[in-house]
Order: sequence, then C-alpha cells, then structure tokens
Amino acid sequence: MDAINWHSVFFLLFALLACGFALAVVVAGNIVRMAFYLVLSLGAVAGLFFLAGADFLGAMQLMIYVGGTLVLLAFGVMLTARGPFVSMKTTAKTWALAAIIGGSLLVVLLQTVLSVDDWLHPDAAAVPRPVTTEPTATRLGLGLLGVRADKAQQADETLRAGMSGYLLAFEIVSVHLLVVLVGAAYLARAKRKPLAKAPPEEGHKDPEGQ
Amino acid sequence: MSTEKTDPGQVEFDVRTDEMLINMGPQHPSTHGVLRLVLRTDGEIVAGVTPHIGYLHRCAEKIGENVTPRQWIPYTDRLDYLASMNMNLGWALAVEKLLGLELPEKAKHLRVIIVELGRIASHLVAAGTYGLDLGSFTPFMYCFRERERVMDLFEMACGARLTYSYLTVGGATHDLPAGWLEKCEAFLDQFEPVIDELHAVLTSNEIFVRRTAGVGVLTPETAVDYGCTGPVLRGSGVPWDLRCDGEPRYAEMYDDYKFEVIAQTDGRYPKDHDYPPVPRTAVLGDSWHRFYVRMLEVVQSVELVRQAMDRYSRADGSHGEPVPLRQKLPKGEAYLETEAPKGQMGFLVIGDGSPIPWRVRARSSSFCNLSVITELCRGCLVADVPAILGSLDLVLGEIDR
Amino acid sequence: MAEYLINNLGLAPSWLAHLLAALVHCGLLLVLILTAVAVFNWMERKVAGRIQDRLGPTRVGGRFGWLQSLADGIKLWTKEDTMPGTADVLLFRLAPYISFCASFCVFVALPFSNGWVALHLDTAVFFIIAVAGLEVFGVILGGYASGSKWSLLGAMREAAQVVSYEVPMGLCLVVPVMIAGTMNLTQIGNQQAGWLTNWFIFHDPFTFLTFWVYFTCAVASVNRAPFDLAEAESELVAGFLTEYSGFRWSVFFMAEYASMFAVSGLAAILFFGGWNGPLPVARLIGLTPESGPLAGYLGNLLGLANFVGKCVLGVTLMMWTRWTLPRLRIDQVITTCWKYCVPLAAAMFLGVMLWMVALPGGLGLLPSNPAATAAADVDGGK
Repeated sequence: MDAINWHSVFFLLFALLACGFALAVVVAGNIVRMAFYLVLSLGAVAGLFFLAGADFLGAMQLMIYVGGTLVLLAFGVMLTARGPFVSMKTTAKTWALAAIIGGSLLVVLLQTVLSVDDWLHPDAAAVPRPVTTEPTATRLGLGLLGVRADKAQQADETLRAGMSGYLLAFEIVSVHLLVVLVGAAYLARAKRKPLAKAPPEEGHKDPEGQ
Repeated sequence: MSTEKTDPGQVEFDVRTDEMLINMGPQHPSTHGVLRLVLRTDGEIVAGVTPHIGYLHRCAEKIGENVTPRQWIPYTDRLDYLASMNMNLGWALAVEKLLGLELPEKAKHLRVIIVELGRIASHLVAAGTYGLDLGSFTPFMYCFRERERVMDLFEMACGARLTYSYLTVGGATHDLPAGWLEKCEAFLDQFEPVIDELHAVLTSNEIFVRRTAGVGVLTPETAVDYGCTGPVLRGSGVPWDLRCDGEPRYAEMYDDYKFEVIAQTDGRYPKDHDYPPVPRTAVLGDSWHRFYVRMLEVVQSVELVRQAMDRYSRADGSHGEPVPLRQKLPKGEAYLETEAPKGQMGFLVIGDGSPIPWRVRARSSSFCNLSVITELCRGCLVADVPAILGSLDLVLGEIDR
Repeated sequence: MAEYLINNLGLAPSWLAHLLAALVHCGLLLVLILTAVAVFNWMERKVAGRIQDRLGPTRVGGRFGWLQSLADGIKLWTKEDTMPGTADVLLFRLAPYISFCASFCVFVALPFSNGWVALHLDTAVFFIIAVAGLEVFGVILGGYASGSKWSLLGAMREAAQVVSYEVPMGLCLVVPVMIAGTMNLTQIGNQQAGWLTNWFIFHDPFTFLTFWVYFTCAVASVNRAPFDLAEAESELVAGFLTEYSGFRWSVFFMAEYASMFAVSGLAAILFFGGWNGPLPVARLIGLTPESGPLAGYLGNLLGLANFVGKCVLGVTLMMWTRWTLPRLRIDQVITTCWKYCVPLAAAMFLGVMLWMVALPGGLGLLPSNPAATAAADVDGGK
C-alpha cells in the first residue's frame, strides 16, 4: 500500500467528482438540481486546489464560486421559475451543437496539455512537497504589493524582469466590479409610484429617516 | 446616514413578482384564535387581507333564547374569555336595565373592583401575546405571572380561574371573602413596579418601537366609520370612553371616581404618572399607540381598583343578591353597552313576559375592530400583519360567539 | 499527530498513520460538537426559563434536568419520518446535512489550544469565512425542496440575511488579522499570550468597537434572535423548517448550535486571546512545553478549558439577547446590515489602520507584556 501514490488517488477522486458532477449539470432536467450539482462540482475543484497546497485559492474558490455565485444562481432560479421543479428540455439540435463546441474545446485543451513536457513525464519533474504549513498567504500578499517571492526562483532574466506586483491589475478589476455593482443597483432600482392617496393629516409627524 | 424613509407600499418594481395567496390560519401561532386570514401578497408586500371567521361559532345567541338570563351568564363568560368578568357585567347590566333594578352602593363598588381587575388581566394578555407575536418571549411570561395573581384573587372570590360567572343579574353570586381586600392591596403594591419592567422590555424597547411605530396607521375617521371602539379608537386620538360618556346606568358606576380617559389629546397623553415618552417615529393611530393606550389603561385601572376598594369597605348594604332564577322579564327591550377591555361590548335583551328572553344579542367590539384590518394591512409587509393583528387585540370567542 | 503515531508508536505504514490521525481528529471534533449541542440545548432551556422567571427542565435526570437534551434527542430520532408529497426527495433529504457539514468544516480550522487544531492552515481565517458561507446552501435547498410557499419565503429571507451579513463580518474579521499580521489562528492566539492586556480587544478603542459589530453580525449570520426571521414561529410558522421534523430538524439545529459555538470561538481567538486566560497561570506554574511534554500537554489542557469557557460565555450572551429582545422585520434586518453594520465596520477598519500607522506602540496606557512578544512567533503546528 505504501507504493500507492495517495496524492494521485485523491487527485483522481476529486477530478472524477468535478467532471462527474459537471456532466450531471448538463444531463439533469430539474434546474435547481443542476445548480446543486454545480455546487458539488465547484466544491470538488476547490478540493483540487487544497490538494495542490493552494489553501488561499481553495478558500477563495469556495467563497466566491460556491458561496457567492451559486447562491446568486439559486436565488435567480428560484425567484424566476414559473413553478416549482421546472424542468428544462434540451432539443437534439442543441445537443449536437453542444457536442461539437464542447468536443472541439476538449481537443484543443488536450493538445495543449500534451504539449507540455513536464506534464507528460510527471515522475521526472516531481518535486517532493514538504507537508508543513507554508506561509502561502504572506507570499500572496507580498506579491500583490510588488515583492514577488517567486521572482527569485525564476532563472530566465528576461522573464524575471516582467514580473511585477499585481496591485494595478487588482485595482482595475475592483473598479470594474464597482461599476458593475452600481450599474446593477441602478437598473434594479425601485421607482417611486405616485402616492395613491393623501397621507393622513391629523397627528402625522414626518418620520425621521432611519 | 439619513435617508428618506421609503414607504414600501408606494414603490414599484421593474422585476415582476407574482401575486401569491397566502393562508394564515386558522391554525397559526399568531392569529389569536381560530381566525383565517387570506393574504394577497405581491412579493413581500400585502395587497389585501380577507378575514374568514366563524370557526368558533357556538350559537350563543340562539341558546340565549332557550335559557333564562341568569342561566345565560356562563355563555357570556365564553364570549371574551380573557375578560369574562367584563362580559358578565355587560349582560347583567342589560338585564337589570330591562328589569329596572337598582343596585345597592356596595354592589356597584364591588363591580368596579372586579371589572377593573378584569381589565388589568385582559390587557396583560394583550401585552404579553403582542410581545410573543413579535418574537419577544420573555414579557409574555412576566405578564402571565401577574395574571396568575389576578386569577388567584378571582378564584378566592368565586372559585373559578377563567370563566367566572361571578357578576350576575342583581349583583354578584357571593360577597368577597374575608381578607380578600388585603390580598388585593398586596397584589397592587407589587404589581406597579412590574408595569415599569414591562415598559422597559416592550414599550421603550428600540426593536419593539421599530416593529410597531408607523405600522397600521388608523385615522380617527376610519376608526369611527368602521365602528372601532376601545383602545383601537383611543389609540387614534378619539377620547371616547363609555365609563365617562356611556349611558347613565353604566357611567354612574364610575361617578365620583378620579380617572382619565387615555387618549392623546392636543398631542399629549394625560400626564399623571411618569410614563415612557412617545418615540419620534410613532404616528398617532399606529400599533404602538394602541399598545401604549392599553399600558396606560392598566395604570388607570390600578388607581380605580384602589379607590373602589376604599369605597367598598366603607359602603353599607349587600353585595347585591342575585334575582330569582326564573325571574319574569317584562315585555320590552333593553340595550346597554359597556367599556370592556377590548372595546364597547353591547348586549341586547328583548323580553316577552316570560322568564326566557325572546331575543338575545351580543354586539362584540372585536368584530368591528377586526373589520378594519383590510384597511390597515393594505400595502404593509407580511411581517407587519402579526404586528397589526396583535395591536387590535382580538378574541375570536367574541367575534364568532 | 500522524508523526506522533509513526515515530512514537512505531506505526509502520505511513498511510495508516495519516488515516488514523485524520479519523481521530474528525472523531474528536464530532464528539465535541455533539456534546456542545446537547449542553447548549439544556443551557438554552435553563437560561430561557430563568430569564422568564421560571425554572426550566427540572425532572429528567435529577433536579436540574441534566438529561433533558438526551430525552429530546431520543424523541427526535424515534419520530416518524414525514416528507411532504410535493417535496423534491433528494434535495429534501440532503439539505440538513449540507448545513451541518459546512458548520463542521469551520471547526476543522479552529484551534482549541496552542497547536491543537485539526488542520494547520495558514489562511485559517479566510477559510473559516469561506466555509461558514456555505451553510446557507442547506437552508436554501431545504426551503425549496419542501415544496411549500412558506418554506421558500423563509429560505429566501434567511439566505438574503446570511449573505448580506457576510460582508460586515468579513470586514470586522480583517481587523484582528491586520493587528496580528497573519491569518494563522494559532499564531494570532499566541500573540495574545500573557496578561489580559495583550488581548486584541484592548489593543485600541476601534478594535473594541469592532468586536461588538462583529458580534452583531455573527448573531445575524447564525440566525439567532433578534435576527431569527427564518425561524419565526409567529409569522411563517417555522420558515424553511416548517416541513422538517424529527431527526432532520435536529440536524439543522445541531448546525445552528455548532455555528454559534464556532463564531464564539472565532471571536474568542481573534479578540479575547483564545486559549490564554486573563492571567498567564500556565506559565507561572511552569506548565509550558519547555518543562517537558506532559507539562506542555497540561498547559494546553488549561488553555482548552479557557477557550471553551470563553465560547460558552459567547453562546450565553447570544441566548440572553434571544430571550430578551423581540425580532426585527426582514427589511429592518437588511437595513441594519447595509446602513449600519457595513459603514461601522469600514470605519473601524480605517480607524485601526490609522491607529497602527500613527501609534504603532499603542498609547502606553496598558502595561507592556514581554511574554507576548516572545511567544509571538511560536506556531505549535507540525
């Protein structure tokens, strides 16, 4: 049993879960069940991140995708479905189109993956990972501010010069998100209807804003 | 951080939400009895409320045509079963009016003691269950602890704890036992600080105020139009109390008693004690004011009981012997309304010469108070419906009879 | 622990050692949660009774009703397994367990004493925030799968509430992380070793206020009164829980009590020094790892008692507010979040940041404690 690479076993397990549930999303008829399977699939992806030692990224995946995006999806589905347990019927034409697009994407991905030497011969490139708590968050934080801890390990001079902090990109994305939020809030704003009847006069004190 | 207060009933959303018919009751923890409310909601906002009643109808009035007035007293108990004494009084006075009976002084003072204690007990239930509806579990226990003491007093007087059948045509069935007045005095002494406790947990509680202030505003005109009476009417600022403004046979019971009608006149409540101040967000006629009127009435009732006990102990005469069981009723009719804790309770008796009335009718206050709920709930949020319902203080026994 | 098993007990196959270690950790946590739930259930009834001027359970298991929780548990397990006819069977059955798993995962990253944590995570705070936000899924699915309008309304309300309160809660949790300079909960706890003046809550007035904002948000995110719209008995009968009875209901409630325990534990570590008591007793009487493994273990045990004591106090405070205050309406709950808690949390965040820049050594009002700095970098993680 010692010869079994448990790391690979768990990797395969999580990968199977992720792919399996992703397939289930496509195949399931009930919308809410689709959302649920997507939760499990993205949770498995988070598991893959944890397995790779990227704790921060894994937690981020859980928080943003599972906790945020999918709750939003569930809300949207439940509030707009015209009846409970609405089912989606996919026509054969849609299946065919999806198969073509999905298939071509799969081919491209496989080609890219198989062209990376390191990934084709994993044992040769394997770096033993110490099972200790690496201060991953610190390195990420430093990288954000411009101190790229992985810069030092980059042998290629030209590549090293191009590595700077992520702060500008982070700020740009934040501003983008803010614009999106403001826009969404504006679009969904409640419009004031003209008052249907006059407010009660006697003893009516103007209530202070909360 | 000041933002304009948005009235949820006055906004329109681009996202269309479907209208839903939600059924509250007849089994529901906060409908105060077997009341079925059908809410038409648009998202979270209530577009309309339709009450369906009749689940507790027991043909009390029809039964009244088959028994003598004294035999009908237990049926009055079960009308507003939380204030049975007051129901007994209403019916007794109506029949006495038909018979033209005059009661001795002592009986009148006894009736004031009993009826005002009944008012305290009823308002305690109203306050406690109102808190419970809004999620505040503790004041419910405090109120019922005090109510237990009132019921102990009533048990000493007549042997029953909920449906007393104590006040009857002609007076009361028994006189107060020895030592009762001292016990009542002791109860009142320890009760007054509890009222302040209740003010702290309910009346002045920030969350309670937020849930009730400005919710379910009832204008005085609407209140009068719908026939609302009692704290519901006085909470809208109309100073109408049958103990002062009612007909002589009833109002004379309260002659020479010093008390105030609790209603906001000229922007102030009667300033006799240090009541908690009215919050800024409260609008006259909202649920908070109806609740406040009840709390203040409790203080007034305590005063009245003390005065009545004093006069009772000094008065001579009897406690009022009940009339014979098969007392013949003269031909004619008599209608009399009394100020019950929940509003004006009226009883009609039409006699035809025999001991058994020809027709008996109970005009219940909660019936008219309930009818105004369609006006009050229009445009409020679903969570406001228990807040409004609780402030109306309904008893289904009274509504359905 | 796996190393302990391999090195000291000579357990040969390393995979077995790791597996056993994981099982023991999970088992311990599960036992802890279930015991805590049972105790809190009993405590809730007693605390509720006393606040309401009555006694609470006094019959089952002696004068204080110790075994009342057990009796309740047995009743719930043996109750009939009902499911509404229009329910989505799979999701209905699965929903309570999702809530419970999310709750349980928080404990996996929560240290109970110096180095006593199931998973040594460097990003523990972030992980906890992420996983705690998954509990709402069980609620949404439960409400939806019950197939009733009432349940759906309640679930939507609760989901909106929990998701909204994650924002100010996250902002509040960043403050102690900023003060400590690390997201590693064990290190944060160790930085507060020494006298109680080292606790982060006394670091500056902004952090003090931050704790109260955090506590409000925590109460809201575990759906306790005054924010318990989802379970409001008087309004939607029981919200998303309406159709749940018996064992499944008890799993939801286990998730709630476990969450209460978890947020209290988080507050204890981040603001109140975690396993460090107000006086450094363990250090004074020599129960430190330097004096030997047994002494270190006993010192950690004392720390565990401290930690659990603080958690129990936090949970008691939550119970106290539940039985005293009425509940807020959903729009008032959301208003409180976005118009009060978020600006307050942001202001506190700014305040702490400015404080740390302007007064790095503090005001010097509280006596400086050398032991704190010495223990700052010790991470008992292995």
